[in-house]
Amino acid sequence: MASVRAPAPTSPAEPPGGAATDTTDGVLVEARGITQTYPGVTALEDVAISIRAGSVHVIAGENGAGKSTLVKILTGTESPTRGEVIIGGRPAAEDPQLFHRIGYVPQELSLFSHMTVAENLFMPFEQSGYGGALLNTRRMQRNAAEQLERFKINARPEQQVQSLSVSDQQLLMIARALSHRELDVLILDEPTSSLTASEVERLFDLINALRDEGKGIVFISHKSEEVFEMGDETTVLRNGKLVGTYPMADLDERRLLSLMAGREVDTDERFKPEVDEGEVILQVRGLTGPGFENISFELRRGEVLGLAGLVGAGRTESMQAVFGYLPVKSGDVVLDGEPLKLGDTSASVRAGLLYLSEERKLHGILPLQSVLHNIGVTLFDETARRGLISASKERARVSEIVQRFDVKTSSLGNRIMFLSGGNQQKAIIGRAMALQPKVLILDEPTRGIDVRTKIEVYRIITQLAEAGVGVIVISSEMTELRKCSTRIACLYAGRIQAEFDNETCSNEELVTAIFGGRRDEQ
Amino acid sequence: MKLKNIGFSTMQIGIVAIVLAALIAVSSLVSEYFASSYNMMIIARSLAFIGLVTTGQAMLMLLGELDISLGTIGGLCGVIAGMLMVNLGLNPFVSMLLAVMFGALFGLFNGLLVTGLGLHSLVLTIAMAGVYKGINLVLTKGVAITNIPEQVQFLGRGQVWGIPVPFIIMLVIALLITVIAHKSPFGRYIFAIGDNPPAARMLGIKTNRIRIMVFTLAGTLAALAGTLMVARLGTAQPSIGDSWVLPSIAAAVIGGVATTGGVGSPLGAILGAGIIGVIENIIVLYGVSPYWQGVISGVVVVLAISFDSISRRFLFGRH
Repeated sequence: MASVRAPAPTSPAEPPGGAATDTTDGVLVEARGITQTYPGVTALEDVAISIRAGSVHVIAGENGAGKSTLVKILTGTESPTRGEVIIGGRPAAEDPQLFHRIGYVPQELSLFSHMTVAENLFMPFEQSGYGGALLNTRRMQRNAAEQLERFKINARPEQQVQSLSVSDQQLLMIARALSHRELDVLILDEPTSSLTASEVERLFDLINALRDEGKGIVFISHKSEEVFEMGDETTVLRNGKLVGTYPMADLDERRLLSLMAGREVDTDERFKPEVDEGEVILQVRGLTGPGFENISFELRRGEVLGLAGLVGAGRTESMQAVFGYLPVKSGDVVLDGEPLKLGDTSASVRAGLLYLSEERKLHGILPLQSVLHNIGVTLFDETARRGLISASKERARVSEIVQRFDVKTSSLGNRIMFLSGGNQQKAIIGRAMALQPKVLILDEPTRGIDVRTKIEVYRIITQLAEAGVGVIVISSEMTELRKCSTRIACLYAGRIQAEFDNETCSNEELVTAIFGGRRDEQ
Repeated sequence: MKLKNIGFSTMQIGIVAIVLAALIAVSSLVSEYFASSYNMMIIARSLAFIGLVTTGQAMLMLLGELDISLGTIGGLCGVIAGMLMVNLGLNPFVSMLLAVMFGALFGLFNGLLVTGLGLHSLVLTIAMAGVYKGINLVLTKGVAITNIPEQVQFLGRGQVWGIPVPFIIMLVIALLITVIAHKSPFGRYIFAIGDNPPAARMLGIKTNRIRIMVFTLAGTLAALAGTLMVARLGTAQPSIGDSWVLPSIAAAVIGGVATTGGVGSPLGAILGAGIIGVIENIIVLYGVSPYWQGVISGVVVVLAISFDSISRRFLFGRH
């Protein structure tokens, strides 16, 4: 087992490790002339990429640019319509076993949460050498302990995975990909999307160690800082076509974003609602439940309240409880002067309180239903009369929303699961808007969304506030909260640690509160 | 290009309808008796009872639920109808109505248990099937109730323009429920819940209330099938409904209803029931041993599921 170097602050834009990467000899995996078509769509057109040893290769592109399709082709999940993948100098089409040298860690956690850490690490057992009739649990746990040590995962081999922190689960998925077999290339798809800053650092240390071992790392992320911190080179895709491959050192954020978008993008824009705050629309008093305690705050019309905090600080839990999705032990919620019936989402929706989950797939979309039905499901007050839906009215209203929120779909009849993440998100926001909420809670509204769509989402939030809606935004990205909120509340260990005016507070104050400190600590 | 606009479920119903039509065409070619009006009537009449149960089952399956006790609810309600009109001497129509209301009550009860206790509907309704069957046997001691008044028998035996009355009743109800499923907010909520329950709750849909309502509906339809069967037989047999449940699930699956919820149509399920009915009929006409019937129906279900999964792969690519 190779040793992992001690955690050290990573210097940004580290030069590619080793001389081998400067020559074509270091190429581990190469894809040439890749074209992939699905019925009615060309997802990729004549795309090429080479992954070198000892380098972190970023694949950049907006939602729907073809990143995930390219990943599917690189991992052998799909075979391309045209073009070839060459692994270790040999065409993979001739020997699909070659794909085993490429590991893939998906964005979503895909672990068996009710099984032990060791079992998760070594599944499937045949491949990891535990494939006998009976599992040698003791040997497996001993080996698992080594791996946990190697990847610095805070867990015991016999522990159930569901009791691990999100970041440990994330690292466990990487460990799983690496512990089976000798990998050449590891593909990480949005690995930091559910991690907090310090956890991201742990992950980056691991990636750096792997790079030093001479592995090729493919890194997909929508977060520019991370891309510039980790990347050695980047391949930019736009609308399924290759824009080019660039050494990271030749790019800056602005240039990268305009390559992705095909035009100039302003990332420094700040979004502040141009409206005087109105009367109090939402009052939460002493809300206590599993994972949060004594949550009290007020929200005014036209205000955007940012909720900051570490993963596990109780942001999602407390807001889902306000919405009535999770149970509450004590406390109450007053919406527009009326006490809200707790624990009943339909009462909340009727009263004008909406919550959009960060788990778009789990809690947001109806994957098998069409875009039409996904958006139409909240419109029946307008589109149905005497128990029957008017198809023409529904179609007209949904088209209007699709246009207004710029949801890109070739047809309203498409199943929403085939849309890109950003378009799904816009569809869900559009659907929520149709209900004309008084208060809208957005939980990580830009998770997994490209920068240009992010800006659109911020713009929508601002418009809502200006229209008199009270908005709450939960986010792990400090820049996001600073960009669009008027006030920021920091949660720590289930309690509101501090509240700040976004205009006057400093990043330092915010970070201190997020980590549970008072002013002068840390 | 045109295909895309129709939508997946419409296309699927189209395919099932074409398969049924082809099956009918082939059957009339290979057997001269098949297309006779007498034989058609036999098929239609047996389809009537299975069709009612299938409609309810399909609605539950769209929700992602199942009710294994629908057959025994039908049998028990048939017996209740018989006892009310024969033993208690109530007006036979009123008795049938009351028996159907009992069915609604049993369905409601199943729904309350599933939602209230958060139980898995498959497991719960297997147990409830035993309970309803047990009550049936306690009431009848296994003996059929005879002397069902003639005035209600036309509901089971009668014909209008040569079409069996129960078939007409089934068709009207199935079409009505198909419209509700696809054209009403209630129906859309069913699809939403079956597709993604947490998302449906996040949207403020009263998921439990809708589940309970659909269980109640399915119980009602099963009871209607049971009481109509009593009217058809002229006796209330305790064994009514014993063989309804598996075909109702098979029919829905053949008709394109996903067992996992959110996809399909009650209309497709009825067409699926038609396919099963025609196949069973042709087996009988061909003098194939009835012992083979189960094998053949089973193979048809497997074919239907395979076709579904293959066409999905073809339409949407692998995975």
